[in-house]
Amino acid sequence: MSVSPRRLRAGAIALATLAVISTTACTAGGSGGNANDGEVKTLTVNTSFVLKTLDPGRVYEATGLTAVHALYDTLLTFEGSDVGTPVPALAESYEASPDAKTFTFTLRSGVTFSDGSPLTADDVVFSLNRLKNIKGSPAVTVSELTFSKTDDSTVVVTSATPNPNVPVVLAMPSTGVLNAEVAQDNGAKDGEDAAQGDTAQQYLDTNSIGSGPYVLSSYEPESQVVLEANPDYWGEKPQFERVVLRNMDVQTQKLTMQRAESAEISLDISGKLLDGLPDSLQTSGVQDTVYFLFLNADPAVSAVTANPKFNQALRAAIDYQGIAALYGEGAAPGAGLVAPAFPGTLPASEASTRDVTKAKALLAEADLTDPTVKFNYPAITYKGVDLGTVATKVQGDAAEAGITLELNPQPLTTFLDEMRSGKSPLGFTPQSLNYPVADSLINNMAPGQATALRSGWTVERADPAIVAAGEKVTETLDLAARATAMQQWQRLMNQSSPYIVLASNSSTVVATADLTGADYSAAGWQVDVAAVGRK
Amino acid sequence: MTMTAPDPVAPDPKVDRALTRRRWLGRLRGGSTGRPVWRQPIAVVALAILGGWLLAAILAPIVAPYDPLAQSADTYAPPSATHWFGTDSLGRDIFSRVVHGARLSIPLALAIVSLALLVGGLLGLVAGYLGRFADEALMRLTDLVFAFPQIILAMAVTAAFGPNTRNAVLALVIVSWPVYARVIRSAVLSMRGDDYLNAARLLGVGPVRALRRDVLPNSIGPAIVLATLELGNAVLLLAALSFLGLGPRPPAAEWGSMVALGSQDLSMWWVSVFPGLAILTVVMAFNVLGDALRDRLDPRYAKGR
Repeated sequence: MSVSPRRLRAGAIALATLAVISTTACTAGGSGGNANDGEVKTLTVNTSFVLKTLDPGRVYEATGLTAVHALYDTLLTFEGSDVGTPVPALAESYEASPDAKTFTFTLRSGVTFSDGSPLTADDVVFSLNRLKNIKGSPAVTVSELTFSKTDDSTVVVTSATPNPNVPVVLAMPSTGVLNAEVAQDNGAKDGEDAAQGDTAQQYLDTNSIGSGPYVLSSYEPESQVVLEANPDYWGEKPQFERVVLRNMDVQTQKLTMQRAESAEISLDISGKLLDGLPDSLQTSGVQDTVYFLFLNADPAVSAVTANPKFNQALRAAIDYQGIAALYGEGAAPGAGLVAPAFPGTLPASEASTRDVTKAKALLAEADLTDPTVKFNYPAITYKGVDLGTVATKVQGDAAEAGITLELNPQPLTTFLDEMRSGKSPLGFTPQSLNYPVADSLINNMAPGQATALRSGWTVERADPAIVAAGEKVTETLDLAARATAMQQWQRLMNQSSPYIVLASNSSTVVATADLTGADYSAAGWQVDVAAVGRK
Repeated sequence: MTMTAPDPVAPDPKVDRALTRRRWLGRLRGGSTGRPVWRQPIAVVALAILGGWLLAAILAPIVAPYDPLAQSADTYAPPSATHWFGTDSLGRDIFSRVVHGARLSIPLALAIVSLALLVGGLLGLVAGYLGRFADEALMRLTDLVFAFPQIILAMAVTAAFGPNTRNAVLALVIVSWPVYARVIRSAVLSMRGDDYLNAARLLGVGPVRALRRDVLPNSIGPAIVLATLELGNAVLLLAALSFLGLGPRPPAAEWGSMVALGSQDLSMWWVSVFPGLAILTVVMAFNVLGDALRDRLDPRYAKGR
């Protein structure tokens, strides 16, 4: 043997190390191009790509939402980090009927698409109908809505059931308005059979036909997406002429940001990863993710987890403060299912607290000695946090109260399959909202609803007060009163639902010091690149 | 050791076997060419390190000051007099976890290598002795396994069977038996035409008996050396699997998963450095020992020493 396997292995390791070093060197130097220009014209956004399409009717993934929000205007939008009050965008004003079923939008005049043609109510209705009828992932938000125009500058949106959150829905990137004529020329359909007939995705992945502050310059879903400023933008022109969204894993993002000097943003550095970043960088974070346990309420799956006393005992056994500390800066002990970023969240003062003595007493009351439960969780790192570490902490906390949890880390798909099958006795999962309205939690997690049934939580097994509190939320049309009702629902949920909220955690935008407006938004697009400027 | 009476006319297998054993045991002791393994300073160090780890593994409950699974509020404490190796993100004492980790890594590595040696050895013996179709089939099978990088194949196998200790061991046996099969097969091939085997066959010694009494003792030496070298590799692969979350389930104190935990935040260096050092010392010690054994047992390496 001229080359021993060991020498080969050493060589391979050396090569791999070199490769890693050279990659980081390249990417770290990536922003260097700016420095030579005197004035910085390019904004670089580093993110670990979750990108399938830039077609507004189909976009559902984080990176796609960031880009689509910059390429297409919506009727309404949100400014900065706020997700409570939609502000005018394509619509200069709107009116809602008292029954929250009819919403009338008055379009701004003089808006043109990036090709110069005027934007009319027809384009709006076409785009929204297309979104609804091609039945892509984001269509669920508009499935109950119908769209029509009364004249060229008035669009009427009607909801089948009272829904005060229609304005929020119409701020989502997926409701972006396309140039209907160009879209139709390239295979877009808006009819009820559009799910089969629409063939525009390929075109829309590589061309933007919106009226937004940017136009698409290049689309390489594996590496980068480049946006150029729209020279004819109707609104305030963005400060950066180019925006480059760069695909980069989170560790490299951290290295890059440690060296970045100007006009650079990272979207995925959060939790413990924020430790050790230079103070010169600015961060903007919002707690928009909650992490919770779900216990199966079906005695056939687990007689232990279905026991209400066990449910109470586990709630009391958990060290919520300690768990929040595991997530690092920007996390908080669990209060309710609605994350602090959204209307209807419970105040931090109502965070759950630990009481091991109570937990033990409850177990004794229920005659449960050494209850043992299999504890499923996905073996992933989510937003900078290893879920296994949190699960191990929960296990340790439970052990102190005399509860044995058998940790069962699973690949994500296995975990989801088992959760959907309703066979998980006890599981742990993060949850983020797809759009900033917490009502979807009631639609999914109230007794008898789809997600609740996966934990065996039928209406019969639930406290009637919880069912009533959930109905109260959907019946309340005033948004402020609705938020209050939502809080009440969560308080009841915290007493006897299958869900134990452990903590809430932030998503964070990290930006170089020279930037302004690099605010994290929980509205889906993470950061409004058009609003980012220089000091 | 033996129960069969020697064949009156055949060369006495007892003598033959004794000769064989003496041949490689003799080399182990230094033979005529050099110092025995336990006179080489570096091998002695390696033996001492391994001895230390074995003791640690056996006496773990006494040596470790804390319960390796006990969490505390004292998270990320740097190394100090109370926590020699510091604590991790859950406030667990890393020294105790490293010591208890030896109870997993070393026995599991031994299990992996012995099973692989058993499976690979048997198949290699059969293939080498029978030749022809059996040999072809077996060699193509080993080619198949060799075609994949070990760790990738092991990952695929564990991922398919579900990540836990048993499946990790199984996966590593599956990826590591072919080396033994090849080594034993070639040793068998090299002695196939030997006079004493022919003589035995002429005298009516069946294949099973020939394999057991003549072929195996003469071919096992190199495989044993290889096994010692591979022990380090097994520790490393096992740690790699559990680093990736495919090994023993948490919260087990396993070195690889401890390194993984620490790698989430390298500013708390002690979380991954100490289990990393444990892996390093054990792997190095096995390798040095294996090298020393090979120098003694393999004539190709014995020259010039």
